[in-house]
Amino acid sequence: MNSLFLSLLLVSLLFVKSFSEGQGKKWKGEGTTQNLESIVIGRCYEYTRIVNPSVGEKNCSELWEAFKNAFIKKDPCNIRPSDYELFINLSLHTIPPNKSLFWENNQQLVNSFSGRTRRYMSLGDTLFGFFGDLLNWCGQANSTGLDYDSCPTTEECENNAVESFWQMASITYAQHSSGVIHVLLNGSAEGGAYPVKGFFADYEIPNLQKDKISEIVIWVVDDIEGPDRDSCGIHTVKILENRLKTLGYDLTCTDNYKSVMFLLCLDHPDHSKCAFSSSAPAAQRGPTSSDRGGSWNKLMFVAFVGFLFRSALVY
Amino acid sequence: MPLQHSSARTWLRTVLLAGIVVLLISLVVAVVLASVLTLGKQEISPKMLKWEDIGTTRNLQEVILGRCYSYVSARHPELGDKDCLKIWESLKHAFIYKNPCNITTEDYQPLMELASHPIPCNKSLFWSKTNDLVHRYTKSNHNFLTLEDTLLGYMTDRVSWCGDPSAPGINYESCPKRSECESNPSSVFWKMASKMFAEAACGVVQVMLNGSIEAGAFRSSSIFGSIEISNLNPDKVSAVQIWLMHDIGGPQSESCSGHSIKRLKGILEERNFKITCEENYRPVQLLQCVNNPDHADCRLCSSNMETP
Repeated sequence: MNSLFLSLLLVSLLFVKSFSEGQGKKWKGEGTTQNLESIVIGRCYEYTRIVNPSVGEKNCSELWEAFKNAFIKKDPCNIRPSDYELFINLSLHTIPPNKSLFWENNQQLVNSFSGRTRRYMSLGDTLFGFFGDLLNWCGQANSTGLDYDSCPTTEECENNAVESFWQMASITYAQHSSGVIHVLLNGSAEGGAYPVKGFFADYEIPNLQKDKISEIVIWVVDDIEGPDRDSCGIHTVKILENRLKTLGYDLTCTDNYKSVMFLLCLDHPDHSKCAFSSSAPAAQRGPTSSDRGGSWNKLMFVAFVGFLFRSALVY
Repeated sequence: MPLQHSSARTWLRTVLLAGIVVLLISLVVAVVLASVLTLGKQEISPKMLKWEDIGTTRNLQEVILGRCYSYVSARHPELGDKDCLKIWESLKHAFIYKNPCNITTEDYQPLMELASHPIPCNKSLFWSKTNDLVHRYTKSNHNFLTLEDTLLGYMTDRVSWCGDPSAPGINYESCPKRSECESNPSSVFWKMASKMFAEAACGVVQVMLNGSIEAGAFRSSSIFGSIEISNLNPDKVSAVQIWLMHDIGGPQSESCSGHSIKRLKGILEERNFKITCEENYRPVQLLQCVNNPDHADCRLCSSNMETP
C-alpha cells in the first residue's frame, strides 16, 4: 500500500516537473540581452562621441525608441525589415568611399581587421551596425515588454526581430557603399567561401549601386590550420565572380591576402605558414636572462684557453 | 547779416544734434551687444573654471553605463554581481561639484572597491609607450589583459571627466592638464587604477615596451616605472617578461642589452623578480606586419613560394 502511494507520488512529481518545463520557455533561442536599453544607448553615444564623431549629433533616446517600436507589441515571428525604417533613417550616416568591407563566415577576423573604422568600415563599424552587434532581442505580442526569457531562432521563424534587423541593415549598408568595395571570404568554410544563400548574396549584392562602385576586390583567406576548400577562380568563388561580372562589375580576386594572414597568424605564430623568411639575427636577438653574466664569463674562459692552446701549439 | 548768421547757427545746431543722436544710438547698440554676449556666456557656464585640456565627455553617464553592462553581461558573465548603476554613481560622486585640482585617492576609493575584480595569474600585461599596439594585441588575443581590459579600465578608457564647484557640477568645456595641477580627476584616477592593477597581478607578468623611441624604452617617470613596478607583489609575482618592440622599418634605438632596459632589470632584480627580455615578440610583430605587409621584415616564407 505504502509503495503504491510512493510510486504514485513520484510519477505525479515527474509529471508536474515536465509540465512546468514545457510551460517555461516559449522559444528555443536565447532571450533578450539583459540591460539592452542601457547597452545600446551607451553604444550610440560611444559611437557618436568617441568612435566616429564625424557623424555628428544623434538623439540616442529617439534612436532607441524607433528601434524598440520596430518589434514590441508585435508577433515576434512577424517582424519585417521595413519595420526598422525609422531607426535606419535616424541612424544613417555617410560611409566613406573605398572603406566598405563585406564578409562571410569570419566575423571576429573582420572585426579585428577593420580596426573599428581605422582601416575599413564594416557593417559592424557603422552606427546602425554598432548598435546591435552581437546582441539579441525580441518582443511579445500582448505586451510592451521585451522577452528576456527566450526568442525565436531563425529555424523557428525567419521573420524574427533580429533577422529582420540585419536584413534591413545589410540592405542599407550595401546601398550606401561606394568606390572600391572589399569582400573577405573564408576559404576554409564548409559549403564554400561564398554562401549562395546568405546575407551577402541575398541582401547586399542586389543592393550595391553599380554607378557608385569602381571595383570589387575579393579576398579569399584560409584558416591557418584549416583546409583549403575554396580559392579564387574555383567552386563557389567562381560562382560569385561570374555573378558579379555578369552584373557588370570590375573584379580582382586574391588568395590569402597578406595583411589578413598576419592577423590570423597571431594565434599560430609558430606555424610554418607564419614563418618569416627574414627571421633570426636582425629581428630576434633571442631571450636574455638575468644570469647572463655567468655565460659570458664561461665564453671568455673557453676563448682564453683556446688561445693559450693554440699559442702552445705554435711554439 | 542777421539771416545768414541765423542759418549758420541752425546748420551748426543740426549737425550737433545729429552727432549726439548718432553717439546715443551707438552707445545703446554697444550696451545691448555687451549684455547679449555676456548673457550668452553666462548661459553656458557662469563661474566655471577654465582649463587647458578637453572637457568632460558628453553623455558620460550613458557611455559608462553602456560599457559596464556590456562588459559584465556580454563579455564576462561571471561578474554578474556588479551593480553598474552603483558603479556609475560612485564615479560621479568622486568628482562632481569638487574643485578639479583637489582630488584625492579617498574620492575614488568606493569606485575602486565596487569595480575591482580578480585577474587570472600569468595574464597581466603592462605597457609603456605602446598604447596602440598593446591594445590591438589584447583585442585579438584574449590571453592577456591590460588595465584597459579590466572592468575599471574598459569603462573609463578614452573618456574624460572633471567637476566644478558651480552648477551643474560637471565641466563639459575644459578640464585641467597635469601641468596645471597634479591632483586632477584623471591623473589621480589612473594612478590609483594602475596601482591596483599591479597589486592584483600574479604569476608571470608581461610588459610591452617601445624600442624605437629615442628617450629610451623604460622611463622611471612613466606610470609603469613610477607606480606599477613598485606595486608588484614579490609574493605573488614570480617573473617579469619584457617584450621590446621595434617599429617595422623604425629605428632600433634600444635593445635588450640597452641602457634603460639594464636599469629596469636592476630595479626588478633588487626586488627578487626573475626577468627575461625578448625583442620583437613574434605574435605582436605579426600584428605590426598587418600594417606593413610588404616590408622586408614582414616577408613570409610561404609567400616566397607563391607566384606573385
